[in-house]
Amino acid sequence: MMDMLKRRILHVLKYLGALLILGVFSFPYLIMILTSLKNRTEIFAIPPTFFPKVWQFQNFVDMWAKVPLAQYMSNSFVIATCATSITLVCAIPAAYALARMKFRGLNAYMYLVLVTQMFSPIVLLVGLFRVMGWFGLVDTIAGLIIVNAAFNQAFAVWILKGYFSTIPYELEQSAWIDGCNRVQGLFRVLLPLSAPGLITALIFVFIAAWNEFTFALTIISTEAYKPLTVGIYAFFGKYDVQWQYLFAVSIVATVPVIALFLGIEKHLASGLTSGAVKE
Amino acid sequence: MEPLTRMAQRKRRGRFSGLSVYLWILPSLLLIVAIIFVPVFELFRTSFSEVTRSGLVKGWNDFQNYLDLFREENLLLVLRNTLVWTVVVVGVATVLSMGIALLLNRRFFGRRVVRSVIIFPWATSLIITASVWKWIFDYNYGTLNLILKFFHLIGANVYWLAQPSSSFPVLLWAGIFDTIPFTTIVILAGLQSIPDVLYESADIDGAGGYRKFAHITLPMLKQPLTVCTVLNIIYVFNSFPIIWTITRGDPLNQTDTVVTYLYKLAFQVNKMGQAASISVLSFLFLLFFSILYVTLTQERKK
Repeated sequence: MMDMLKRRILHVLKYLGALLILGVFSFPYLIMILTSLKNRTEIFAIPPTFFPKVWQFQNFVDMWAKVPLAQYMSNSFVIATCATSITLVCAIPAAYALARMKFRGLNAYMYLVLVTQMFSPIVLLVGLFRVMGWFGLVDTIAGLIIVNAAFNQAFAVWILKGYFSTIPYELEQSAWIDGCNRVQGLFRVLLPLSAPGLITALIFVFIAAWNEFTFALTIISTEAYKPLTVGIYAFFGKYDVQWQYLFAVSIVATVPVIALFLGIEKHLASGLTSGAVKE
Repeated sequence: MEPLTRMAQRKRRGRFSGLSVYLWILPSLLLIVAIIFVPVFELFRTSFSEVTRSGLVKGWNDFQNYLDLFREENLLLVLRNTLVWTVVVVGVATVLSMGIALLLNRRFFGRRVVRSVIIFPWATSLIITASVWKWIFDYNYGTLNLILKFFHLIGANVYWLAQPSSSFPVLLWAGIFDTIPFTTIVILAGLQSIPDVLYESADIDGAGGYRKFAHITLPMLKQPLTVCTVLNIIYVFNSFPIIWTITRGDPLNQTDTVVTYLYKLAFQVNKMGQAASISVLSFLFLLFFSILYVTLTQERKK
C-alpha cells in the first residue's frame, strides 16, 4: 500500500519535473517567436503584452529590407561551408594516421590537437589579430574561414579517429589485395563506412562556424563581410533596438541549425569529450 | 584478429613507415601551428614588448605591461567576477544537469521532446540566446517584469540590468542556461553506460534509492563528471558573447570578466600590451586545465 503510494508520487513528480524543464528551456524561444510577431507599437507598449494583439507576420517579409539579411546569410554560409571543407580535408588524413599507423611523434601530435580543443579565439585574440595582420587577413572572409577551420580541427580529428577505429582494418587490407592503395582504400572502403562520424563532424563544424561571434566581431568591420551573428549584434548599436526584426532574423538564423543539430546530437558527447565517455 | 596477408604486412610496415606517414598529418599540423600556435607565440612576444599607440611592437620592456596591468584599479574586481562567474556557472549547471540527466534516463511519455528542447541553447548562437534574455529582463518592456506583476510578486518594475547586484545574477543565469545542454548530454551518456546488473543486485540487497545513487551512480559517473567539469571550466572562463550582449561588462567594469576586460583593453582603450599580458596569464591558467584534462582522459585508456 505504502509502496503503491510512493510509486504514484514518484510518477507524478517525474512528469512535473519534465514539464518544468520543458517550460524553462522553451521559454526564451517562445518569447523570441512571440516578440518577432509583434508590431513596433506593441513592442514598446506599456504595459507590455504577452501574446501579440495583432500577429505581424509581415515582419518576416520586412526584415529582408531592414538589414542586408541576404548578404549576412550568404556570408555565414560561405564561411561555414569553406571552414568545414578545410577542417575535413585536413582532419581526414590526420585521423586516418592516428587510427591506422604507428610512428614517432604520433603521441606528441595527438596531445597537441587535444590541447587546441581547449583554446578559444578570445584568449589568443591579441596574437591572432596580429598574425591575421601579417597575412593581410584582417577584415576578410578568408580570415574568418581559416580561423574557424583551425579551432574546430580538434573536434573533427577526434570524432573521425573514433569512427575509423571501430571499422575493422581487414576490410581495407582486403581492398589492398584487390589492388587499391592506401588512399583508394580510405576513399572507397573506410570513408563510406564512417559516414555517421563524417556527417557528425561536418554538421558540428558547420554550426560552430555559423554561430561564431567573438572573432568575427573583432576582425570584420566592412558591412559587406559581416556574418549573421555580427549582423544580429549590430541591432544593439542603433538608437532604439528593433526587437521584432532582431528576433525575426534570429529565428531564420536558428531554425536550420537546430534541425541539423538534433540530427547529430547523440554522437556529440563522445566527440567532444574525446572518447573519455563510453561510446 | 586474422593474420595479415604478406602483402598487407608489407604495405603496413614497409612502404608506409618512411617519411610519407608524416604527409598524412601535415595539413592538419600546418593549420594548427599557423593559426593557433603562432598566435600563441606572438601573444607572448607582445606581452613582453613595448607596443606603440599605432600597434607597432618594439623591443623587450622589462615586464612593463604586466606592471601596468597590476596597477589597473579594476583588475581585482574583474578577477573576482571571473572566479564567481566560472565557479557558480559550472557548479550550478553541473548540479542541475545531474538532476535533468537522471530524469531523462527514465522512461516517460514525451522524453524525446524534452531531450530535444534541452538541446536548443547548445545549437543556438550564444548571441541570440543572450539577446532574448536581455529582452526578457528589460525594465519597461521585459516579459519577466510583466509576469511578476501579473502574479503580484512585485509592485513596480525592477531594473534588472541597471545595477551589478542584479545584472550579474542575470548573467550567471544566462551562463547556466547555456551550459546545461552539453553537461546534461555528457552525464546522460555516462548514465546509460552503467550496467543494469549493478542496480539489480543492489535491489536484491535491499538498497534504497539514495544508497543506490551514492554507491553506484555517483562512483560510476566519476569519469564523465570530471571530464565535463574540466571542459566546462575552460568553456565558461572563455565565454564572451553572453556578457558582451547583455551588459558589455558595464557599468564601469562592474560585470566584466577577464575575457570582456581584455577585449576592452585591446580594442577599445588601445592598451595592447596590457591586453596581451592578461591574455598570457589566462592562457597559462587554461593550459593548466588542458593538461589536467589530457592527463585525466588518457589515464582511463591505460
